Amino acid sequence: MKHILIVDDEAPIREILSQMLTQSGFRVTEAAAAHEALGKLDSDPPDLLISDLQLEDSDGLSMISKMRAKRPSLPVILLTGILFDEEVVRDSISKLVTAYLPKTAPLARVLEEVRRLTT
Amino acid sequence: MKDPIIRRIVALFAAVAAVLIVVAVVALRNVARATAGSDWVNQTHAAILELGSLRGAFLASDAALRTLVVSGVEQDEAACRETMADLSENLEVVRALLRSDAAAAPAVERLDALAAGRAKLTRDAVAARRGGRPDEIRALLLADTAAGVTAEVRRIVEKLKTEQMALLAARDSQAYLQAQTTRWTVGTGVAFNFILLGLAGWLVWDDVRARRRAAAVLREANDQLETKVRERTAELAKANDVLRAENLERAWGTQALEHQLRYNELIVNSITDLVFVLTKAQNISRINPAVTHVTGFETKELVNRPLQELVRLGSGGRAGPGDPLAQALREGRDYREAEAFVKDRNGREVAVSFMLFPLRDRDRVVGGVVILRTLSVA
Repeated sequence: MKHILIVDDEAPIREILSQMLTQSGFRVTEAAAAHEALGKLDSDPPDLLISDLQLEDSDGLSMISKMRAKRPSLPVILLTGILFDEEVVRDSISKLVTAYLPKTAPLARVLEEVRRLTT
Repeated sequence: MKDPIIRRIVALFAAVAAVLIVVAVVALRNVARATAGSDWVNQTHAAILELGSLRGAFLASDAALRTLVVSGVEQDEAACRETMADLSENLEVVRALLRSDAAAAPAVERLDALAAGRAKLTRDAVAARRGGRPDEIRALLLADTAAGVTAEVRRIVEKLKTEQMALLAARDSQAYLQAQTTRWTVGTGVAFNFILLGLAGWLVWDDVRARRRAAAVLREANDQLETKVRERTAELAKANDVLRAENLERAWGTQALEHQLRYNELIVNSITDLVFVLTKAQNISRINPAVTHVTGFETKELVNRPLQELVRLGSGGRAGPGDPLAQALREGRDYREAEAFVKDRNGREVAVSFMLFPLRDRDRVVGGVVILRTLSVA
């Protein structure tokens, strides 16, 4: 069973994602802050990271950089309410994360991306 | 006993019991008859034997009498009395054995009479011998011989024996027929019972087979029902999964929208400049908290009021003929003025710089955004 780590400062977002992934056969752990997520990277290493851009104690991209420094092969989905232009995504964001999805994307699309990156 | 098969089996066993009772009754009656017939046969055999003895007794008494007449000794007289006693006893037995045979009664009476005559002859002969009358003895014996008593006794005895033998043969035939009847009754009853038991067995077997068939049909129906239930359960589970996914999707959409709106509002509210959102008719539809902070007006006091009531352009509209703001919105371009004035709720004017940006929804201008930045007092 693949392990997904969800990092988001909004509890309802974490809860919905967690329900959806659990029902789809994934094991899920959650974190609201970057330091909490970094701790879990060591104690319970995930197979995939889903992170928001805004966290309680840091921004998502900084946290992702720290995680990638420890585990360069860790697949990361940046799931944020901030809508980036395609150009920005292509030239900047995609160098930092494996995939970018706006929170306006359907949940099915999120699941599809999770499955793609965990198989 | 609602089950018809049980009723039928019970009826069959009742019939078996009835046949058994009938067979038993008939067999017992025939056994009783056979026993009675056997007694009679034994009695007849005894009568035939006793008739033979009777004839012998007659001959013995005759011989003893003649010996006594010749010898005249006492021993022969005693022997003569003894043979007479034997004759009498034989006759008693014959009478007793043939008492139930009415047809034999005249012959028996005749034998009685002949025995009585022989007894009288013996008594008379003994008396004549004792009296020294040999001629009388001779006459008595001659008379007896002439009467043919011995021959008559033999004839009567033979006739009785023949009759008894004929009766015996008839009774034998009757006993054989009774035995045959008994055998037939028992055999028929047993055969009939076997047929009834076979029928009961067939009924039970047929019923078991029918029940097995019914059980198989029921099992098949149950299997089909279970399959349908499983299929329906799977469909419901699938529908439930779809519904759950749809619910999650809806919740996700709502959450994403709320997040987006909140984020947008956060951006606008975080600006320290005064922001007014206008309709195409330049009425205020939204303000940020900086407006309230500077003017003292609450949102509800400003919404739907013309911007001109609150803001006065420094040029006084000299930028061109007509309303410059309306013109800029029509043309879909920005409009800026270095100085304008915003009125607070006490009527005082605050100097600000003025910027109007058209709000575009795709290619269509749907309103405008006005940003006022307070000018610092030099």
